Amino acid sequence: MSCDETRENIEAYLDGELTLSDRRDFEDHLGDCPDCQAALENMRQLSSSIKKIAYTSRPAGLRRNIRNGLRDLSGEESAGFGWPQLLGFGGASAALASVAVWGVMSFMLSSPMQLSLTDELISAHVRAMMVDHMTDVTSSDRHTVKPWFNGKLDFSPRVVDLKDRGYPLIGGRLEYLNKRPVAALVYKRRAHIINLFIQRSDKPAQTSPAQLIQQRGYQLVNWQIQGMNYTLISDLNPQELQEFAVLVQK
Amino acid sequence: MMTNRKNRQRFERLMLGHLDGAYNLALWLVRDPAEAEDIVQTAYMRAFEHFHTFTGGNAAGWIMTIVRNTAYNWLSKQKRSSNLISFDEVLHSSEQHSQSLSRRMNPEEIVSINASSSNLMQQMERLPVEFREALFLREIEGYSYKEIAEITQVPKGTVMSRLSRAREQLQSLLLEQQKRKQDHVL
Repeated sequence: MSCDETRENIEAYLDGELTLSDRRDFEDHLGDCPDCQAALENMRQLSSSIKKIAYTSRPAGLRRNIRNGLRDLSGEESAGFGWPQLLGFGGASAALASVAVWGVMSFMLSSPMQLSLTDELISAHVRAMMVDHMTDVTSSDRHTVKPWFNGKLDFSPRVVDLKDRGYPLIGGRLEYLNKRPVAALVYKRRAHIINLFIQRSDKPAQTSPAQLIQQRGYQLVNWQIQGMNYTLISDLNPQELQEFAVLVQK
Repeated sequence: MMTNRKNRQRFERLMLGHLDGAYNLALWLVRDPAEAEDIVQTAYMRAFEHFHTFTGGNAAGWIMTIVRNTAYNWLSKQKRSSNLISFDEVLHSSEQHSQSLSRRMNPEEIVSINASSSNLMQQMERLPVEFREALFLREIEGYSYKEIAEITQVPKGTVMSRLSRAREQLQSLLLEQQKRKQDHVL
């Protein structure tokens, strides 16, 4: 093996990627060549100081959060969605109610009809994520997004821009759920997508305070204002999603 | 038939043990602890949803692939929204002109590199993300070229050249820094 070849093989040698016979040739040359020895030593030093970089320890709650998420996703018959979970969240959110304009939390067990609607909304959210079709109109300008819905809906959705609060508007799209057109506004929080679904409620003039529902690993916040039904869906943590819900309602 | 519970437990058994590696890979790639945490969480959920496509074999490699893809997704969105030419690209364009370091240097120029981990990490951040990724998978995780090729979905030759350029650039950065320090002393 020549010096050039040897130099070229230094890394493969240190990485343990040379074949046995190449290895032997490499070492043979090395024995007679101080220059190549020095080059090898140089590379070995770099490599070993990189290897000494230690793991950064992972955030405390990461493993637990993942396990919780997995349990929600897996749809396990016994442990799944039900009273305890809702009540548990009621407690957690009650603490939040004092800091945010959050109204009185009502944690009624959802009626079957409501359940199937939340299910449909989650599916719409997941579908949009999977096919990577989040928006029909892509713009961070609410004056572009709002008029886009003209003529596509029998109402005009309220579109707010919350970029300065860390929830930039990404755009909007049209969904059909329960054979009805629904406005979907898309926001973002770091890497998390938030869908805000707006549709006309069955009961006009109904107003009900926001409630938080956890289903299939997603957080939902649902409220009604004067006959309009609003639902937020995201995999964002409940605290921030509630904060967002408050901002949207303002 | 496997129940949902058993399936979830199998996933946990196979994949949760690689959480530290997954988190550190994400951290090396995106360099932001909060984002890295989000990315790992998202990646694990995505992995679980596609767990039926895992056919056995290298669980660590499988989950690492999903984590790095999730991280790259995030990075590309960042790039699109920032509209800036990143330092990565600047380095990419100049890297063709540089020769292999070990061949270029005379033996007497070879100085011992004594870098602390924190200093090394700081210089590492100046490397293109693909280079950092290759170094992490090789030096920290100890994957073979072939395994790295599978995780990063590029040919083995590309892995080799990325590793080689990564080390070369890192070495140059460290030498430059050392030189600056020496000049400062003199």
